[in-house]
Amino acid sequence: MQLKISDYLKPEAIIMEMKAKEKIAAINELVAHMVKNKLVDDGKEFINALAKRENLESTGIGDGIAIPHARTNAVRALVLAFARSPDGIDFSSIDGKPSHIIFLIASPENMKSEYILALAKLSRLLRKRAVRELLRNAKDPDEIMEIIKKNEE
Amino acid sequence: MLVLTGDADQSILSAAVQFCRSVDGRLYVLFVIEPNRVSRLASLTHQKVKFVQDKTEEAGWQLLYLIEDEAVENGVWTSLHLEEGNLMHVINRYVDSYQIDALLTKRKDEAKKIFVSSSITVVGL
Repeated sequence: MQLKISDYLKPEAIIMEMKAKEKIAAINELVAHMVKNKLVDDGKEFINALAKRENLESTGIGDGIAIPHARTNAVRALVLAFARSPDGIDFSSIDGKPSHIIFLIASPENMKSEYILALAKLSRLLRKRAVRELLRNAKDPDEIMEIIKKNEE
Repeated sequence: MLVLTGDADQSILSAAVQFCRSVDGRLYVLFVIEPNRVSRLASLTHQKVKFVQDKTEEAGWQLLYLIEDEAVENGVWTSLHLEEGNLMHVINRYVDSYQIDALLTKRKDEAKKIFVSSSITVVGL
């Protein structure tokens, strides 16, 4: 199955400087941003699904990255959002470090294959130190999009 | 803790999740990419090492997230890890770091190796 992260992440789903300082506030801010930009139908259900996951696992994958995610019918298609936190947020990362780059992924319940593939592709992409550095230093959403597009090929 | 390598298949998922559920345990899932195996596979298939490495890593993440999805549906706490290096060294590091008390693996040859060198319970699924 061919799937590209850059096909699903939209510039309007990018927050260059997140205000939130802790995990649940960060998820709320990202979801509110997605609802405002009409990327999510039911923000409340979406937050509940993400919070349920956060209680059962650590979505901080280390190296300053967190990927909160959920399968929920609060969304109608595979959606992604990106946020940067200058101070970092505690996502209970496996390496104990705060997360500065947060990618959120969600899909409807019946899109399990796409959802798993998107998570896998994103995790692999973000293991590259050079990509993480570029994302942390990007100036605007267009540059974020360009970095992802260029490096996932 | 569940240990996976490039040879692992999906049949291990449900067994591992149900095992953790039955003992009310936490599931640390570790996928290990072994450079030697990647090089060997690249050589056998006449592909570039980088290509095989990327494919192995992506397959590893997919397996990890598949397990996580099933674990979450069953209310089992999960933590996903993908590491590169010597299998035994990585396993020993994780056993020490996370106070692992049982280890599950699919491949019987791995189970034997791990059983010989590990101080914890090893289950070959």
